[in-house]
Amino acid sequence: MAKYTKMAYGSADEMVFGHAKEPVSYGFGIKVGAGRVIPELNYGPRPGSEASPEKLRKEYVDYIAKDVLNRCVTLGFPDVQLETEWISQMGDPKMATPVVEGQKAICEKYYEEYGINCAVRQTIPDQREAEEGYRPGMGGKHQYPEHLFQCAEVACENGADVLSCETLGGKELGDYATTNGDIVAFLFGIGYLGSIDMEYVWNEFVNIAKKNKAIAGGDTNCSGANTSMFMAGGMLDQDVQRTYSAVTRAIASARTLVAWECGASGPDKDCGYEGPICKAIAGKPCAQEGKNCQCAHADLQGNLMAQVCDLWSNESVEYHPEFGGTSVQCWMGSLGYEVALMNTAIQTGKQKELRDLYMITDRERGPEGHILAYDNAYEIGKAIVSEGNNYYLRAKAAGLKAAELIKAHNDAKELQLTRKQREVLEGIIKELSALPDDEDKFFEYCCKKYADVPNFNLKNYDL
Amino acid sequence: MIDYSKVDFTKILKRYDVEGQNEMTPEAIAKTMLPKDPVLYKVAETVLYMKFKDVGPAVAEALKSKDALDIINNGLVVGMECVAKLYAEHIYYLPEIMMAAKTMEIGIALAEKQIPGGRSTKGTVVMHAAEGDPHDIGKNIAAVMMRSSGYTVVDMGKDVAVDDVVAKVKEVKPFMVTGTALMTTTMTAFPRAAAKLVAAGINIPFMAAGGAVNRDFSESFDLGIYSEKAPQTPPIADKVLEGYDWRKIREEWDHIVGA
Repeated sequence: MAKYTKMAYGSADEMVFGHAKEPVSYGFGIKVGAGRVIPELNYGPRPGSEASPEKLRKEYVDYIAKDVLNRCVTLGFPDVQLETEWISQMGDPKMATPVVEGQKAICEKYYEEYGINCAVRQTIPDQREAEEGYRPGMGGKHQYPEHLFQCAEVACENGADVLSCETLGGKELGDYATTNGDIVAFLFGIGYLGSIDMEYVWNEFVNIAKKNKAIAGGDTNCSGANTSMFMAGGMLDQDVQRTYSAVTRAIASARTLVAWECGASGPDKDCGYEGPICKAIAGKPCAQEGKNCQCAHADLQGNLMAQVCDLWSNESVEYHPEFGGTSVQCWMGSLGYEVALMNTAIQTGKQKELRDLYMITDRERGPEGHILAYDNAYEIGKAIVSEGNNYYLRAKAAGLKAAELIKAHNDAKELQLTRKQREVLEGIIKELSALPDDEDKFFEYCCKKYADVPNFNLKNYDL
Repeated sequence: MIDYSKVDFTKILKRYDVEGQNEMTPEAIAKTMLPKDPVLYKVAETVLYMKFKDVGPAVAEALKSKDALDIINNGLVVGMECVAKLYAEHIYYLPEIMMAAKTMEIGIALAEKQIPGGRSTKGTVVMHAAEGDPHDIGKNIAAVMMRSSGYTVVDMGKDVAVDDVVAKVKEVKPFMVTGTALMTTTMTAFPRAAAKLVAAGINIPFMAAGGAVNRDFSESFDLGIYSEKAPQTPPIADKVLEGYDWRKIREEWDHIVGA
């Protein structure tokens, strides 16, 4: 499997929203990264709709999808991508199949009737548990690894345009790392073991997607870097330092990239805030979320995340009534108008100006957004490709580069940090710098150091 | 890139975290809270500064002159109370809580060996993450905070079936059960479990929490009470032990959690 050892873009300034080096076409007229940004609307069914396959199909197709498509037509939006993040009950094909088929059919209907470009991303659930085993055949009572690939088959066979997943490899160490503020554990769990798991899972997903003429989109480190970022929270939260969460994001980018190295073509997942780094390296289209996902997430880079996106998402909203219609209709309007602004900027040749305005507003709001500003993201990308062939070294390089950028910009008074944020940052630099350059030595060191972390089992990674 | 060198960022955003940071130090808090007795001070200090390796020798040394219960209650627990104060003051953060709790637990395990029949705890709570839900980090943090507050935790892990929760409650007879869920479609397990508890004649609070759960949902079924964040779990549990039932917890929830 070829790994990325050079950047897709010659400079950070070449990157802009709506344009990717490798655009992708699918569904009913959708072209991502081909010159305009596409809104992506994600939703959760109401509690109780999981009671039967009929109820669930009705919720997803007759209510949610129809409401979204109607609102797009009502407001004159030319494109939309639906995203269904499968609820756990959809691990049963009887629950999933009618939903996937129904969403495909309603998209076709609206495309034919109104000419609206549309497609559906099916994001299947990774329910694997480290204690039961991450690989098929490990004998867990739920057989979650087997179900993971079955879900991919069910999605692709029944009409998924894009297949995505938020895989969990390395989560057992990622959770330990974040609750204990241990960046080396995060590097080992997410950067190293997580990448090994991604390679295994995404090689399978790409084969399944190809076989069914679906697009293998990409992954996100939702369970690692997002856990860290959302625990770090806002200005007054006190669980995790934002310098720590910023560095975890950079490490996670080296892991998320693996799906694309396995042959997935993008777009990756919106909640992968590492998208700007991955796009800078690979040139594949990325989905992002920010200011228009307040229904699900409050982050500190709501504008900045739009800077180089190709799809713009609301993350997820539970289906329920609002004054302005149903929740999915309201957030569709919010997304659609933001995307219209971006596409107007492209049409008027002002895309770089708007990109920069998005970026500047949040550049100094905190260290997480700071390292994702496209110029800094590009630098982290360069650090990754400089060690591109080695999962450990490239994840370490990403983390260290992010930490050094934050420190340098704090020293230069460009980015403010609290004393505690700075203290944690300096600790991270010290710890990452002290790690060996030899992968085997790192592996040996971590296996010993983290032997007692609950549910840590090398067999999950075939090691 | 647009030139932003002359941008006045104070007109765009405000760094409340930088402006509002607490100037106090752990040492300043320690002076006011740690025990005066030099032997107990040394024990408490290992918890305050999260010294895993030093807590064993400090407890062993203290056992030469002090009663084990005295060491636990006036050394280790006081050290942890100091950590809780630092957390509340935004001087310590989650990793410090986790490491200090681990240090305290090492110390308690050592001291407890000297207490015939072991140390009595404040009470037992059953904790789990809902069936179909693989996310349990919030539950794990709350479990550490409950243990640190002197409770015995029966941690059932994640993806726990409703019937297993009910069976465990019948078996260990806790004063409270908690469930966390990150998904709206997994949190529906909580009212089902609570209904089965009611049917079995069990009338204890069922704390429903987690990213998908809100107060309205938690209070939509009999037994249900809410916790928004892990640190709210021990003060709510304290009230249950004081005799508050689930209805009274709901009525006084804002006051209990300091909302």
